[in-house]
Amino acid sequence: MLVLRGVAQPGWLRFFSPDRTQRWHPARPDPLELSSPMPGSSPARPLSLQPADIRSKLLGGLAAALSFACLGLWLAVMVLPVSGLPAATAWAIGPGMALAGVCAWRWNRCLIQNQRQAIRFFDELSRRDPHDAGVTADAARATLPSGSPWYPIANRFAERCRLLAERGQDVEQSRAALEIRLRRNAVRQRQTDAILANLGEPVIAINSFDEVVLINDAARRLFEISEESIVGQPIVRAIPCEKVAALLIDARRRGAPAQRTAEVEWIDSTGVSKWFGAMARSLSADDRPAADEQRSLGAFVALRDIAEIKTGQKRYAEFVSAVSHEMKSPLTGIKAYVELLADCDPSDSAAREEFLGVIDSQANRLQRLIDNLLNIARIEAGVVEVSKQSISLHELLGEALEIVRPSADAKRIRLLSELSPMYLSVLADRDMLMQVAINLLSNAIKYTPEQGSVTLRSRMADEEVEFEIADTGVGLSAEDRVKVFEKFYRVKKDRGMAQGTGLGLPLAKHIVEDVHGGRITVESVAGGGSVFRVSLPAVAQLVS
Amino acid sequence: MTKHIVLCDDEIAILRAAEYKLTAAGFDVRCAGNGEDAWREIERRLPDLVVTDLQMPQLDGFGLCRRIRENPLTRHLPVIMLTAKGCELSAAESTEKYGLAKLMIKPFSPRELLRTVEQILNGPLPASDAPTRLKDCGSPTVAQLTTDN
Repeated sequence: MLVLRGVAQPGWLRFFSPDRTQRWHPARPDPLELSSPMPGSSPARPLSLQPADIRSKLLGGLAAALSFACLGLWLAVMVLPVSGLPAATAWAIGPGMALAGVCAWRWNRCLIQNQRQAIRFFDELSRRDPHDAGVTADAARATLPSGSPWYPIANRFAERCRLLAERGQDVEQSRAALEIRLRRNAVRQRQTDAILANLGEPVIAINSFDEVVLINDAARRLFEISEESIVGQPIVRAIPCEKVAALLIDARRRGAPAQRTAEVEWIDSTGVSKWFGAMARSLSADDRPAADEQRSLGAFVALRDIAEIKTGQKRYAEFVSAVSHEMKSPLTGIKAYVELLADCDPSDSAAREEFLGVIDSQANRLQRLIDNLLNIARIEAGVVEVSKQSISLHELLGEALEIVRPSADAKRIRLLSELSPMYLSVLADRDMLMQVAINLLSNAIKYTPEQGSVTLRSRMADEEVEFEIADTGVGLSAEDRVKVFEKFYRVKKDRGMAQGTGLGLPLAKHIVEDVHGGRITVESVAGGGSVFRVSLPAVAQLVS
Repeated sequence: MTKHIVLCDDEIAILRAAEYKLTAAGFDVRCAGNGEDAWREIERRLPDLVVTDLQMPQLDGFGLCRRIRENPLTRHLPVIMLTAKGCELSAAESTEKYGLAKLMIKPFSPRELLRTVEQILNGPLPASDAPTRLKDCGSPTVAQLTTDN
């Protein structure tokens, strides 16, 4: 029964329309059924007063009015005469009762009208799109006349619907935004997973409970982990490298934003040792340090292969050791002879002269060593300015020959020249190439016994310009041929023949191969002399 | 009684300096340019002390020490080793492992070398018998070594 404040349905009328409650509120209809036609849905049955309802209400009203009139008439005709009331009073009751009947009938009609308005209102509500509740409520309200008792209620209802509609729109927008963000995150997640999977560096991450949450393929390969279910396991059990596990746990516990690094050596199942630079960092929910457990998301570690760096460090350490050792020899001589000079008889001029000579030669030796070291270091570092120009090889080699001739004459070594009559041109830095020629000629003279010979040749060979220095010296063994271009390497058995820094050939090799793109090779037999050959691209070849 | 010392170093200048200082102090000094030559000198005539460099061709200082220790006749010989590789060798480890009497790091002082030799051998000859110039030293001399090479 539709009960409204001030318009309560008289209960006795139910006798005239026993089905009224069902007709007014047909079995608590589903709100979705009452909504306006949604796309794809069937139209809902509109609310309305049924003809039977109207007839029954009208008949009910009419019957009420007639009843009042009949009662009044009966009272006037039958009861009132015997009641002793005056005739005028009796005759007034009849019309009065009839009037009451009319009023009752009129009141009934008002009720019906009000109910019709209510039905129109709610019918209009139900016919429209529920998503547009504000507009729907306004439209429904518009169906009511301004004097209708439903109007304030409809007004308030429309206002609430508008608010709900606005909130509904906000929720809808938030939902749409969240959905977009969710899709973007999913795409980003897939991209991140793909990047991690294809990274060459092993990466492992743990959560705040020290359990593995991420381990990429590179890490699985490194630690030879084939188990698929490793994610979720405690890190100390998951990977066989204790140092990496300890680094991760320590980084997570510290929660400091700074990263922790360590060098880790890992020996795999085949016994091969690999060195990695491990960088571990804690993860926090925001930019603040994750020392607070609640903000800690765990930690991750990335391993970088530092085998080359380790090798480089080892080579550098060996180089420094070799340099310091080589420098100590002339320094020892200088220091020792200074002391001898101080302790010797002042009148022994011959001894003094000898000592001073040794000091001088050792100092020169130290100077040459330092110069060669600097040259090599600067050329290798690319600091030295290389000035290449087209030069005549014949002219350069001729000049180098004259520079070394005095040292060859001192040992009575024959210096022979078999230079090509062709004009051989190379694109080279003149000073550097001169250094190479002088180094090779000097070596040949040093390691050739007295009255031997050193021959300088040049030729054109397969679009390359070659020059070679052949000697009749002590030669090189197979082992020495391989090592002779290494820094500070000097053939042990030949060290007594001449002084040297062990840097002349490495310097020549670097100049020829790294600076000029050529080749330097040696052919030699122990005791049978050596041939050092330099090949450089011809100028025509470079231009083409 | 004159004490005999075998000097061994592939650096001629250093060999000269040590030879001069020890000869001037009255010791009988024989020189070798490598470990093999030094061992031959030791076999030829047993010295009272050996002073050797570490890095030498053919047979280095440690190899020479091992031979000296393995031979019953030479096992007792005191050996002083001169080396520029000071940082890679711990003095205690080297003396225990190779039985060195002393490890001296280059650049060394000839005065210090003489002091060490005298400590080990308990005193040199009187100064008047000591030669004053390298060419007056006993054989083989550094000059002979250079010729032989």
